[in-house]
Amino acid sequence: MTNEENIQLLKENIIQGRRDENDEGLEEGMLGQPGAKELTEAAIQAGITPGTIILEGLTAGMNVVGEKYEAKEYFIPDMLASAEATGLAMEILEPHLAKAGVSSKGKVVVATVKGDLHDIGKNIVSLLLKGAGYEVIDLGNDIPPERIVEVVRQENPDFLGLSALLTTTMKMMGETINSLREAGLRDRVKVLVGGAAVSQDFADEIGADGYGTDGFHAVRLVEELRE
Amino acid sequence: MSQKGLEGGSYKPLSQESIDKIHQASLRVFEEVGFQVNSESALSFFVQAGAWVDSETHVVRMPPQMVMDFLSRAPSEVKLCGQDEEHDILLGGARVFTGTGGTALNIIDVETDLTRRATLDDLKQIARLVDGLENIHVFMLPTYPSDISAEDVDVNRFFAALDNTTKHVMGGVYTLNGIRQAIRMAEIICGSPQELRRRPLISMITCSISPLKIDRIYGDMLVQIAKAGLPIVCPAEPLSGATAPVTLAGTLLIQNVDSLAGVLLTQVVNSGTPVIYASVASNTDLRDLKYVTGSIEMGLLNAAGAQMAQFYRLPFYATAGMSDSKVVDAQCGYESALTSLLCALAGANFIHDAAGMMEFALSVSYEKFVIDNEILGMVMRAVEGIKVDEDTLAFDVIKEVGPGGHFVSSDHTRKYMRSEHYYPSLSDRLDREEWEAQGGKDACRRATERVSQLLSEHQFGLPSSVRKRILSEIPGIID
Repeated sequence: MTNEENIQLLKENIIQGRRDENDEGLEEGMLGQPGAKELTEAAIQAGITPGTIILEGLTAGMNVVGEKYEAKEYFIPDMLASAEATGLAMEILEPHLAKAGVSSKGKVVVATVKGDLHDIGKNIVSLLLKGAGYEVIDLGNDIPPERIVEVVRQENPDFLGLSALLTTTMKMMGETINSLREAGLRDRVKVLVGGAAVSQDFADEIGADGYGTDGFHAVRLVEELRE
Repeated sequence: MSQKGLEGGSYKPLSQESIDKIHQASLRVFEEVGFQVNSESALSFFVQAGAWVDSETHVVRMPPQMVMDFLSRAPSEVKLCGQDEEHDILLGGARVFTGTGGTALNIIDVETDLTRRATLDDLKQIARLVDGLENIHVFMLPTYPSDISAEDVDVNRFFAALDNTTKHVMGGVYTLNGIRQAIRMAEIICGSPQELRRRPLISMITCSISPLKIDRIYGDMLVQIAKAGLPIVCPAEPLSGATAPVTLAGTLLIQNVDSLAGVLLTQVVNSGTPVIYASVASNTDLRDLKYVTGSIEMGLLNAAGAQMAQFYRLPFYATAGMSDSKVVDAQCGYESALTSLLCALAGANFIHDAAGMMEFALSVSYEKFVIDNEILGMVMRAVEGIKVDEDTLAFDVIKEVGPGGHFVSSDHTRKYMRSEHYYPSLSDRLDREEWEAQGGKDACRRATERVSQLLSEHQFGLPSSVRKRILSEIPGIID
């Protein structure tokens, strides 16, 4: 396998959403073939730079996945599988990134706010952000403002993602932002909100920095705000 | 993804005992009442076969054994082929296929939304449209072209269809000469008369006259098609309350005898010729004696017809999916969906009229073909049913995910998501904001857009050499 073939195969496996050799993938006959994990390891072994692996393998693959999703060929579970494969590859690359002097794209803390137990959407956002190369700290659900404030102070993330499904718990997002303000941390982190009942108007009202309609939108938003 | 030929039969409006009662009563009608045959040639075949024929009244009666003997000669499966082999279907068992139906005089103009006489050009356009609609498996000639002189209608109808769709073409016929020419046309396309019998690209429909009568012209045509050995349908159209008893059981009895009479005629003419047991049974609205096509009774009668055909091991042609509405509205949707669903679940082999038809079968609508295509996709998913095995039960996946987890990112979800759920192509599932941003269109307006998209993208034409030969050998075709 040449270096070009290695990267090309890695890209294809990201598109297929195959984590490792035990993954069936979308097409027949893939079982047992190397997946994102094995191909990333092989690429490191072969001395391909982490930058090239990320750019030409992972990101290039995820771009195709995004296109397939836009064209309605891919469904959400397809995107998630690809994001998971990318996340796994990123984990393997992490120690090598520091060595090569490549820094992470950014740190994101995500949480479903206090009183709300719905976390599928938040989990999807986490997965997609990991797939896009971000370091993600997922606090879980039913997280009170005090805890979020504490984590923001300790971890110093670039972004904070808040999620709520219910109209009754949405207001807790506003209270969380107020708590950040009271603790003097509001300017240190960009706050993004999302959830079925949330709207741009609501996000503006509570003073959030952004609102994402879905997981892919959330990733785009983070990319835009990062620049 | 197009699902066709799935096994139906889970819905059974008739018990085994009821089926047997209808069968026994039918044999009594054949023996004691008989059916009238007004075609000289058809009648002579019954005389030859040894039936009791009254030369004055032209009533044919038969003992039970003779009925069963001739029925047993009819094949239990009939193959209908398309110009593209992908569209070949094998009618029989409880396998379900769908098709358009006919024959409507009017069409709702796609641009003006006004009803007008259908033209030959409409027929070509509908053939092209249906060629691109994946849940409609057979193209039955849906309209009568008002701009063609009567003697040229058959050749022009079949040519318009064969030149615009690769699906099997079935059609009603109007003249003996038209039948001959249409068969000749299909032979040219196939390459030889033998090849057409091996791969029948066309099939024809005549009809019996309920109650208990085979008309002179239709009798003559039936004999001619049966002699030609092409698949034939001779539907009975008893109307509960008018041309059949008001009770559904009595209507089924008439429907069974009339359908079987058509089958019997084909078998006395040409033993083993491919024939499809057919029902167009419906009811009349006795408040004004109107023939209706969207009644729930029509669904029941045709679902029961499927059971009778399965009892005789004959392929079945059912009628369902129509509406009596004048516009493409909610009534159009619910009437079509209900009758199609009942027949499909009963395992009706070929559900004709399942797309496009409205207003007592007087009109078709371009949009309704598209809407019915969506209905039929959902109907076929219902026919498919629920597969339960170790893998679909997903115990291991449930164990892995555990309480409070989710299945969105499970490999199991990816493995089955495209086949377990039907994904509509016309139905709206957008958020309100998104829907409004895209123009806030209802199903009919979205269907209009799909019509123009399909008509602009979808093209099929006969190979030019074949086309040239047909046009030079067969008179009367308007190109």
